[in-house]
Amino acid sequence: MKNSILLASLLAVLAAGCSTTDINDPMGLNAPFPELESRTGDGSEVDLIGSSQGKKLNQSALDELAAAAELADRSVYFDYDSFAIKSDFEGVISNHATFINKHDAAVVVYGNADYRGSHEYNLALGQKRAVAVKQALEALGVNGSAIETISFGEEHANQTCTGSTCGQDRRADIGYVGE
Amino acid sequence: MKQSFWKFFFLIWLVCISNASHALEVIEILGGKASQIPVAVIPFKDNNAQKSMQLMHEVITNDLNRSGLFSSIDISGVSDYPIDEREVNFSNWAALQSQFIVVGKIDAIGRSNSQMQVTWSLIDIYKEKTVLSVAIKGQPSQYRVIAHRIADTIYEKLTGSKGVFDTNIAFVKKLGKEKYSLFIADYDGHNPRAIVNSRYSIISPRWSPNGKKIAYVSFEKKKPVIYVQDIETGKRTLLANFRGNNSAPAWSPDSKKLAIVLTYSANSQIYTIDADGKNIKQLMRTRSINTEPAWSPNGKEIYFSSDRAGSAQIYKVDVDTNEVVRVTFEGNNNVSPSLSPDGKLLLFLNQDNGSYRVAIQNLLSNQMLKLTNGPDDESPIFSPNGHMVLFTYKDYGKVTKIGTVSINGLKMTPIDVGSEAILESTWGPLYD
Repeated sequence: MKNSILLASLLAVLAAGCSTTDINDPMGLNAPFPELESRTGDGSEVDLIGSSQGKKLNQSALDELAAAAELADRSVYFDYDSFAIKSDFEGVISNHATFINKHDAAVVVYGNADYRGSHEYNLALGQKRAVAVKQALEALGVNGSAIETISFGEEHANQTCTGSTCGQDRRADIGYVGE
Repeated sequence: MKQSFWKFFFLIWLVCISNASHALEVIEILGGKASQIPVAVIPFKDNNAQKSMQLMHEVITNDLNRSGLFSSIDISGVSDYPIDEREVNFSNWAALQSQFIVVGKIDAIGRSNSQMQVTWSLIDIYKEKTVLSVAIKGQPSQYRVIAHRIADTIYEKLTGSKGVFDTNIAFVKKLGKEKYSLFIADYDGHNPRAIVNSRYSIISPRWSPNGKKIAYVSFEKKKPVIYVQDIETGKRTLLANFRGNNSAPAWSPDSKKLAIVLTYSANSQIYTIDADGKNIKQLMRTRSINTEPAWSPNGKEIYFSSDRAGSAQIYKVDVDTNEVVRVTFEGNNNVSPSLSPDGKLLLFLNQDNGSYRVAIQNLLSNQMLKLTNGPDDESPIFSPNGHMVLFTYKDYGKVTKIGTVSINGLKMTPIDVGSEAILESTWGPLYD
């Protein structure tokens, strides 16, 4: 008796719950990946950041960067779960694009996420924000291979933010190799 | 209403797996708390052993309680402590509704009485007979390990599944500004020792299934890179330090390969790599995020989180054919997948109504059950027998702590590892 109830219930579960769907990636493939050239197998202290094409800023470029008011703003903020560049930050991106192009500078874009959710998924979200800024710079003529993207995920985030203060952490920052 | 209905079916399904593993008592799970196995662990009679031994019954009781499958009987009103079946007054214990009792004695043995021997029995009160009688020897300083092994023996006898009380966990703590440590400890948080100290964040610790190594992500190179560290020797190697981010290591069931996540200059993508760093292969290539890989126990599929449909959801990919199937459909976001040891349950983090909770999904029915209350739970991982989940949660002071929850949802127990914030945690394998 007990067994037949169990069996009937199990069958009901089977019948009711089978909703798995095949979803092959509808978006197609990305552009070809770079070769796996930058591996350092032995763990020696190699600074991989800055291995991109583009030039390390020299002293006069560093001075120019420090002096220019329009370059002081390095951060692009994003809405919750969004990767679109808001119009408020188009100026930040175009000011830096002009400077990067002028000096053929090597750039690192650092992505961040707020603390909520998993560390690894937040690492991926921060990366997606960094990639969004990279693409916006490329649209303004910056050579993509001079831009490295790194994510800190939530590792630099305010671990007790609430509501709108969490927005400070949904951010990508433009950095220069050599500074 | 609807949820309790489904919870009922879900629990029935749990009972089915339990039956398959010859469990006799777990079927009572359907009745909820009232039908956990009632057991009383009596203080062992101490024949001149050291004081710390007198805590053994507490360690055993805490172990059994933590599993959610047992309820401990209050013995505060009991004054006679039997040491074996002959001394048990069965009608008294039956009146306390104790289905089983655990009794024993501790004797000092060996040269200058430096060792101890615990002689203990598991007694069935209803059947009035001894189920098990065992003698176990060790150093007095090992009393917790001995108690955990006794609890494992009781657990296996009464549930048909291996106990996990003599296993280890690992967790990362932020000890101060620019001060992070990766610790290994007993499963209940005792005996912690730091195996990595760093000025930078450490995340995603993952134990190799053979128990020998831990992979983790370190930010010490000003970007995420993956190390593999030998637990015995402390020697570590840099597994992945490619351009961009290197993260989310996940060991294959045979400990020979890892799935990892690399970015180069685009979004996170999943690769497989041999444990010695050779033979790297990309699994899929999409524009969307693919991260948090987790192998199925048979090594044929990798579960992962992806935003390919907009919100983050969990998918699985066939390692050979690269065919992708979506697995989760409920909730705003579902991330951090991992599989039960039998491959039948998916464990993950569910985000709904602003709250992150630990959830499990029956992969046969696709029915989901939330195990924790949130709002900031993270880092869920199964115990090696699949009966408990280790996870992190934020307490009222917003400091991240660790705890366990039983997969029947009946028992959530904190693990006390001090007041400093935890980043992430993981559970090691069973030892042979």
